[in-house]
Amino acid sequence: MTSEKTDKKTLGVTQPNLRVLQALSTEGRFATDIDAAKFAMAHAIAEGVGRGTAEGAGTVWHVGSFDSDGSLKAMIEALYPDELYPYRLVEHLINEGLRLMDAGEALPPDVAGLVRAAAET
Amino acid sequence: MLRLTSLEVVNFGPFKGRQTVDFRPEPGVTVFYGENMRGKTSLLNAIRFALVGSVLGRGQRAVAFENLMNLEARAEGERHFEVSLELSHARGAYRLTRTGKAGPQGDYVPGLYLERGGQPLSPDQALHEVEQILPKDIARFFLFDGELLQEYEDLLHGESDMGPQISAAIEKILGVPILTGARDSAKAALDRAEAALAVAAQGDQKTREFGTQLQSLAATRDVLTKDLFRLEQDLEDLRGRKAGLEAAMRRRERFAALLEKRDRLTEDLDEARTKLAGTAEAMAAAMAPAWAALIRPRLVTTAAALGDREQTLQAAVTRAQVLRDLSHGHDPDCPTCLQTVGAAAQARIRTALEGGTDDGEARSQRELAALRRRLEALQMQIDAANPEALRLLWQGEEDMRNKIYALEGEIKDIAAKLGGETESELRGLSRDYDSVVREIVAAEEGLTATQGKLAENAVYREGIQRRLDKLAGNQMEAERRRRDMAAQVYGLFSEGVHAYREQLRQVVEADASAFFLKMTTEKDYAGLQINETYGLTILHKDGAIIPVRSAGAEHVVALSLVAALQNNAPLRGPIFIDSPFGRLDGGHRKNIVQTLPGMADQVVLLVYEDELPVQAARETLKDQLRAEWGLERASARHTRIVKR
Repeated sequence: MTSEKTDKKTLGVTQPNLRVLQALSTEGRFATDIDAAKFAMAHAIAEGVGRGTAEGAGTVWHVGSFDSDGSLKAMIEALYPDELYPYRLVEHLINEGLRLMDAGEALPPDVAGLVRAAAET
Repeated sequence: MLRLTSLEVVNFGPFKGRQTVDFRPEPGVTVFYGENMRGKTSLLNAIRFALVGSVLGRGQRAVAFENLMNLEARAEGERHFEVSLELSHARGAYRLTRTGKAGPQGDYVPGLYLERGGQPLSPDQALHEVEQILPKDIARFFLFDGELLQEYEDLLHGESDMGPQISAAIEKILGVPILTGARDSAKAALDRAEAALAVAAQGDQKTREFGTQLQSLAATRDVLTKDLFRLEQDLEDLRGRKAGLEAAMRRRERFAALLEKRDRLTEDLDEARTKLAGTAEAMAAAMAPAWAALIRPRLVTTAAALGDREQTLQAAVTRAQVLRDLSHGHDPDCPTCLQTVGAAAQARIRTALEGGTDDGEARSQRELAALRRRLEALQMQIDAANPEALRLLWQGEEDMRNKIYALEGEIKDIAAKLGGETESELRGLSRDYDSVVREIVAAEEGLTATQGKLAENAVYREGIQRRLDKLAGNQMEAERRRRDMAAQVYGLFSEGVHAYREQLRQVVEADASAFFLKMTTEKDYAGLQINETYGLTILHKDGAIIPVRSAGAEHVVALSLVAALQNNAPLRGPIFIDSPFGRLDGGHRKNIVQTLPGMADQVVLLVYEDELPVQAARETLKDQLRAEWGLERASARHTRIVKR
């Protein structure tokens, strides 16, 4: 498909993940939802989530605002050297990270627990 | 002599159903054993309820009637409790029954039934007779616990409000009111005689003026006397109100302390919330690169691998550049071995280089640039990632939140404990107290002023009487003699009251000292010294007063006073004592138990076994031990009274 041959210009989150993103933004004391989305992406990477694409993700951010200096793309390329479409992968990782953090209706994502675990690693 | 023959309780307090206790007629001690919460105080309250119609709880507060009903019986549909006493008294044999019956609104209506010699008395008669059998004011000398004994210390402090009330009760049990009543009657007779003399004086031209003055002074005296009674009554009421307010304030001290604590905690809570809000910005700034902290180990590993690759690529690019320079003769010397590269060698290098392509070198250059860009990106995130700092930040925030949660919980608990008590109630109490203190001062000043005016009035009247006596003729002789006789009778009773009080103090002091020396274990104490208000102070053998005494010593002194009063009172009766040994050591306990049979003919002890072991009681009381009863648990709300 044509869309598979180019990288993405915008990044999005699926409808179910939007709720998790909002909860994560609040619970994680993030200044912006971009910071929260990156946190979700990192969680997916740490959990060893493989390559893939996010299905049904609506537009939330333009890559220009999400990765203004291109350092995120460079980092993804470093971590996934054969990846042809780093932003597509970023979108996938954000959504997978949010999905993994979804603690259900009652509980917000355990940001403090993730931070603590990172410090202990 | 008042003596209890039997007690019957029906659904009263923890005593479910109908339960009966028979008291042996011989003098001695009956002991009821019961652990905490089995109903010792309730048994004392049953007797108090029957005799005086009210029940005291902790802090000497009256207990509401609906709280006297046995809870199990109530749950089973019963709506009636009852206490009956059979007793013998100088006035006859009585059966006294008091009841509480649930009304339609759920409140309990009290009932009183009294039979004398098997004949029921009318309600008015019953009320009158019960007040004669055991006046409410003096019940404290027959039915008491440690808390009530503690109040006798107030007798030592003239400024206390409880002291005068207890002093009045002591005089009542000792029969002083009989004499003071006679004195007051004599005074009334004297007033009447003086009035008659004044009227007689008005019948004579020579003495008319004096008679009129005397009548006027007598009228003023009557008004002043009425004022004096009213002020005395007001003062008594005010002192009662002050004592009540003091008791309420003492009860609310706990609430005042709670309010203070709540305010302090609320301040702490506000401070903690402000601090937490202040960390929000720093937290947001710290969380922006937090994502890198989650994958820092992987970033570090990848950076290391890319670093290796960078070195390899850099070496290949450098080698290619050096060879190209050598092949073109730009640099005649080899940079490695520093030997001159000849033309033949340069040609061989050119040949070798021709096998390779510029594309390969360019690709390496591009790869190196891309790799460096990635390495730079990785390094930037690695530098930004500080998981330990983040952890500490989160820990700090969590600690703060926990503190806030704990503070909120504590404040909520205090609010629950405060219940309906509010600051305004406490302030109102304090305001009322200040007001009643001011009223007491005003009433005391009024009393002193009225007493002064009465004294002045008496001086004027005496002066006029003397002048009248000189002028009066024989026609007034009979009135004069009547007045003189009334004055002598009044003087006699006034002196009698004074002498009787003095005598009573001496005998009470002597008897209390004797009881005290039997009960105290301190051999260096010589006895007790009584003050004007029947307060007792311990005396050392060397004559010195013991200024401060322990709660235990207070109990022994109070028991000595009660025993001495029983010894000297016109009305003697049974003594019921609830848990009297809590603050006493073994030596004092033994001495007191030994002394009990001498305090009253009928003594009933309500104790728990650790306080007075069964064997110790038997050995100490010997043949003075009349009966042993146990208060045994059937359930948390049902106690059985069992003869042992």
